[in-house]
Amino acid sequence: MERKKHYYDSITKRLLVAFFFLSIVPIVSFAWVMKDAVEDTNIIKLNELAISTIEHRSEVISQFLNDKINMLSRLVSLYPKDFFFDSKNVEKVFLAMNNQGNIVDLQVIDVTGTQHAYVGPYRAQVAGKRYDDAQWFRETLISGVHVSDVFTGYRNTPHFVVAVTDPLKNYVLRATINSSIFNSLLHSAQLGPHGDAFIVNHAGELQTPSLLGKTALSETDKKLISFDSRPASLITNTDIYTTRLIDRGHWLLILKANIADSLGYYLRLRDKIILIVIVISLFSMAAATFISLVLSRNFERADKEYAALSLQFVQVEKMATVGRLAAGIAHEINNPLQMITNQAGWIGELLPDEDPALVKNLGEYQKAVEQIKHHVRRAGTITHRLLGFSRKMSNQQEKVQLNELVEETVSFVEREAGYHNIVIEKNLAPNLPATMIDGPQLQQVFLNLINNGVDAIGQDGRIEISSKLRNDGKLEMVFADSGPGIPAENLKQIFDPFFTTKDPGKGTGLGLYICYDIIKKLGGSISVENRKNGGAMFTIVLPVISFGTQK
Amino acid sequence: MKDFNVLVVDDEDEFREMTSKILTKRGLHVQSAESGEKALEILQHSRTDVVLLDVKMPGMDGIETLRQIRSIKPLVEVVLLTGHASVESGIEGMKLGAFDYLMKPIETDPLLEKLTEAYEKKRLHQEKIDQALMKKHMSMPV
Repeated sequence: MERKKHYYDSITKRLLVAFFFLSIVPIVSFAWVMKDAVEDTNIIKLNELAISTIEHRSEVISQFLNDKINMLSRLVSLYPKDFFFDSKNVEKVFLAMNNQGNIVDLQVIDVTGTQHAYVGPYRAQVAGKRYDDAQWFRETLISGVHVSDVFTGYRNTPHFVVAVTDPLKNYVLRATINSSIFNSLLHSAQLGPHGDAFIVNHAGELQTPSLLGKTALSETDKKLISFDSRPASLITNTDIYTTRLIDRGHWLLILKANIADSLGYYLRLRDKIILIVIVISLFSMAAATFISLVLSRNFERADKEYAALSLQFVQVEKMATVGRLAAGIAHEINNPLQMITNQAGWIGELLPDEDPALVKNLGEYQKAVEQIKHHVRRAGTITHRLLGFSRKMSNQQEKVQLNELVEETVSFVEREAGYHNIVIEKNLAPNLPATMIDGPQLQQVFLNLINNGVDAIGQDGRIEISSKLRNDGKLEMVFADSGPGIPAENLKQIFDPFFTTKDPGKGTGLGLYICYDIIKKLGGSISVENRKNGGAMFTIVLPVISFGTQK
Repeated sequence: MKDFNVLVVDDEDEFREMTSKILTKRGLHVQSAESGEKALEILQHSRTDVVLLDVKMPGMDGIETLRQIRSIKPLVEVVLLTGHASVESGIEGMKLGAFDYLMKPIETDPLLEKLTEAYEKKRLHQEKIDQALMKKHMSMPV
């Protein structure tokens, strides 16, 4: 039984594993592959977007700076040196060129660093200041054109300047760029809430404020950014960095796009998919478990039914074999019994011829012969019963009303039962259909069952006989007694031939076997069980055979 | 009345002998045969009223023998005797016109009773036929 249980458990397990590999593994692997593929696609798209954005921004910024440089250069080439040394002229020029507010102030400084003219809001701070030491001033004199890094200078606010000299390097024309307008050129370069765009110089100092409000480059950013990097993107786990050199290579425009930002929608989708996959997996796992359990239960039940059926089959087979065996034995015994009868009979024939005077034990001999005949008769009764001889040879089917047959049978035994104070109670359903059956044989069954009941009770009790028409159209007869019932270990073999619990010599052990055999041959079935309130209960089920349908 | 001819057919010698002895002692004329063929042969040449026939015999069995007896001597009554409760053979025997079907072991008295009944039947039969023949003769114009 334990081994069987183990077997069904292993079926359940195998089914579960099969379900797992056939349903959940494909779903999960598909989801996994899709997840990676979509993520990669997103990064590639984001990278493309970052590259096109930085391309565009770097062009806009370069354009802006070039505009300023070109404008200053044109001014220098248009007017003579003296023109710029006059503050009024400078003021006119400033007004003319600064209609957009791109330039904060305009300043003219001669080659010695002395300021000659100033137009702008910081007049007080810069009045009388000298610039010959300023980095941007020297650079301008050397290269003729210069865009400075952001510095604080005399006015104590960060700013940067664009400066040009005349071809003879007599003076420097300097314009301070409106930082807010310049910075705003980068605003539209922000990709997502965690994206950033800023400009750094060679020293790694921020030239425009970080859009995220950072004041300096983080260590990781510093490591990642190098000026000699080609216009390629750097993709880390969290960000995509794209860079472009601007302003003739002394500034670097950096665009940082946060992958998580752009993946936001995708990530939400992914979470949703993972959730759905988990729910589906759990659901199908539950369904698989349920199906596996139900299947293995069904297997188990089918196996049990099959086992019960084979057992039943074996039982039928056994009964048939025993029956054949019994008939064979009976036949073999009948012949010697006949010989004994003949011999004893012969002695019996001859004895009367003897002279009683000469044979002094003549009476004894005659008695012995009678005894031999008596015992042969006894043995013959047993073999005849075994062979079913007592069933008469008629084997005729006749129309039998079971209730009438019961009444008749009871009338045979009622008196005998009465001596033992046993009441026979009949509970017969009216209007039972008549059936074509061998009445005498069936009567023998009834008689055997009632006699058995009487024997089982012994003294004082009742036998209940009931009949009814079952729902499936078969006739059912129940013979119940108030005796001690049948021990459980005997229930199985109660119908076996020669099985008896009666004292030796009292029962042949054939009564119930004959009942079983007759009922079987009549196309019915007989079963036995113990009643809950004591006593044995025999149930006979017979088919209703109407005219013309007999076998 | 009990003086009639019986033919005992059985393959078992002892049974045949014993039965013959007993029945002879009871006043019957008994012949015996150890097989169906032998029985048919005896029937051809003797006056037999009743045949006691064993159903189960080697060679020609009782049923076949019965069939042949019915065809050659329809008036002879046959009592079947067997140690085997083959209901089918019993029914078949009765169908073929056996007088009765007996089970071994059977004692002398009931056996004799059965044989006598069979003989009575045969005798009545014979009488009727004789009377019919007689009437036929009487009614014939002289």
